Amino acid sequence: MRPVILLCLLLAIGCDAAIDQFPANDVYALTLAHSRDVRTELAQRDVAEVIRSLFGTPESPVWPSEIFDGEAKSLVKSESLTAAAGPIFSDREGNNFGLFNKHCVACHGVSGSGAGPAAVFQNPYPRDFQAGVFKWKSTERSAKPTRDDLVGLLHRGVKGTGMPSFALVSEADVSALTDYLVYLSVRGEAERKLLAFAIDELGYDDSEDDSSEFLIEDADVHQIVGEIVESWLDASKRGVPVPKEVASNTDSIARGKDLFHGQIANCVGCHGPGGNGAAVTLDFDDWAKEYSSRIGLTPTNRDAMKPFRQAGALRPRQIKPRQLNQGVLRGAGDGKAIYRQISQGIAGTPMPSLTITKQESATGLTSDQVWDLVHYVQSLGSQPGDTLP
Amino acid sequence: MNMEPEPSSAELTKDDPSSSRIVHRLAVLSVCLVWPLIWVGGLVTTYDAGMAVPDWPNTYGYNLFLYPYKTWLLGPFDLFIEHGHRLLGAVVGFVAIGLAVAAYLKETRRWVFWFAVAVLLAVIFQGALGGIRVVQMSRTLAMVHGCFGPAFFAACVALAVVTSRSWRDSCPADRGQSAITELAQVPRSTVILGLVLVALGYTQLVLGAQLRHVQPTMRPDGFATIVVFHVVTAFVLWSVTAVGYWRMRKLKSCCGDLTLWRPAAALIGLVLLQIVLGTGTWVANYGWPTFLQGFPGATGFLIRAKGFWDSIVVTAHVATGSLILAVSTMIWVRSWRLRYCSQSASEVANET
Repeated sequence: MRPVILLCLLLAIGCDAAIDQFPANDVYALTLAHSRDVRTELAQRDVAEVIRSLFGTPESPVWPSEIFDGEAKSLVKSESLTAAAGPIFSDREGNNFGLFNKHCVACHGVSGSGAGPAAVFQNPYPRDFQAGVFKWKSTERSAKPTRDDLVGLLHRGVKGTGMPSFALVSEADVSALTDYLVYLSVRGEAERKLLAFAIDELGYDDSEDDSSEFLIEDADVHQIVGEIVESWLDASKRGVPVPKEVASNTDSIARGKDLFHGQIANCVGCHGPGGNGAAVTLDFDDWAKEYSSRIGLTPTNRDAMKPFRQAGALRPRQIKPRQLNQGVLRGAGDGKAIYRQISQGIAGTPMPSLTITKQESATGLTSDQVWDLVHYVQSLGSQPGDTLP
Repeated sequence: MNMEPEPSSAELTKDDPSSSRIVHRLAVLSVCLVWPLIWVGGLVTTYDAGMAVPDWPNTYGYNLFLYPYKTWLLGPFDLFIEHGHRLLGAVVGFVAIGLAVAAYLKETRRWVFWFAVAVLLAVIFQGALGGIRVVQMSRTLAMVHGCFGPAFFAACVALAVVTSRSWRDSCPADRGQSAITELAQVPRSTVILGLVLVALGYTQLVLGAQLRHVQPTMRPDGFATIVVFHVVTAFVLWSVTAVGYWRMRKLKSCCGDLTLWRPAAALIGLVLLQIVLGTGTWVANYGWPTFLQGFPGATGFLIRAKGFWDSIVVTAHVATGSLILAVSTMIWVRSWRLRYCSQSASEVANET
């Protein structure tokens, strides 16, 4: 009995060893392998080395400022990485460290893959930062969020999900977490793009199994990482301007109701009559589609998904359009945020963007019409019993 | 030292100093201190404040008892609860020392003295575990520390039970009396049931600790498996408490024995409360589960990191788990005692 207990104790302590490297993105590697019909092990090996030398480890993360110029050098502050990474502790002055492990890692995972230990029971799944796609932002659909968007999201949290509000957490801690989130996203996106580049452009798919030739050039790495960082710096220039709001009154709400159930916006097609969520939809978000329908696999086919699940992917889960009549809107939830969500759609989801026209037309909506829609959506939340059109 | 052989039944009477009040009172005091200690320790984990003081056994270089109280009381909250946890732990340690000394001086039952010594060693071990967890910055040792605490609490409860007057009074045969008809006849299955309650209660604590001290590298499937086991075992435990209550009720109706029936009744309520608190803990950490989305307010529920009431719910779940283990232990030890007494009484009756 005693040896068994001792063994269990040793095993348990062994599990507590420092995390000396970020987990590789095996799901994306498998996606590439499946879509290109190639082997990716060698490319993964060399990309992992490049990424580790550039970005460090979970215990000692590094922002590779030496390869950047200008603003990019300070996009992520090294003191923020120090505060956010590594084990959890605090000092005598109350400064906190290990913030990501304290607040985020259980859901988002060590590398920000969104597949942390507690991810599986959450709906929606925690965000995978590695794809560099974010839902709740003030910028264009394809743009990165601004820093203010991320800070705002952390403060607000996301109602009805596992994402908490950090309103009670100090500004310094929220700022450090924001930097670490950007760091993880840049690191993860760089890993993905380098892997795709190595396979598509450098001939890693043809390499012999025992090849020790290192094919990735520094110049290529710097260019790929530089472009990702540039997209973060450009975010503030890609904000979506919100035109002046039309008067919010019963007329505007009535017009919005017609648009909601009309052919152009066709919100009813997904959100159901009166936003009651009764429409039948069978869609998935982009994170799940990447390793399923986009490479010709059926998301609901358990056998097809099994290799991806073993690689660390979460089971694809259908995305449900928001039930607007419950009055719970994710994102900032104010008029401007809803305007942006209607006009730009929501990145990573089936929620499409609209064409904004100057004149009323059959192909798009004017900004005034979008505001009418906004007012109607806002009115739904205030009349929970009024679900019928 | 009065370390004599176990006294014969004739030597023991109600007035006998061997049923030492001081030992029992110290045992009860330790129970009364350990539960708050578990609360504070739970808060430390809830706030991830275990590493708010980086050294051990000192506190920022100060002797534990000499750390400036103003800096402690007015400093960061994490430091306040971690240092407070250490101080309260030290108090429990002193009480355990007093308990062992009192048992050495006053207790005639040798095994009770050794039991008190074991409790003292356990509190030393627990303190060392907590200290090494700090020095090693180990979450796993924090989990072991968190699991050992309730076991220590249960041991204190058992010690309080065996030093109580009711323990002595429950065995007239020990005093040469043969009041057989007053004694509840406790079947072996009831004692086993008590043991099952203890085992299930402790299993739940260990499973819960795995979730609470989750390793960042654990796979989601592993975490989900533990969650499922934790939930299923909770309902199994609740069912067993109902069976236990039914068994103890028979003892009450036949023989008027309330020493098992009352805690058995309390246990049903405690496990129900624990299930509610467990749901609250999940909600406070991860939001409403999908199958409870129809619950009023679930769709708009917002989790608040470091929310005070959220942390109280989570910590109450931890503390109630320990209480369930303690009450189960009380039932098990008492049922074992009653069975022993009823058998002894039967033997006395047969002899006469």
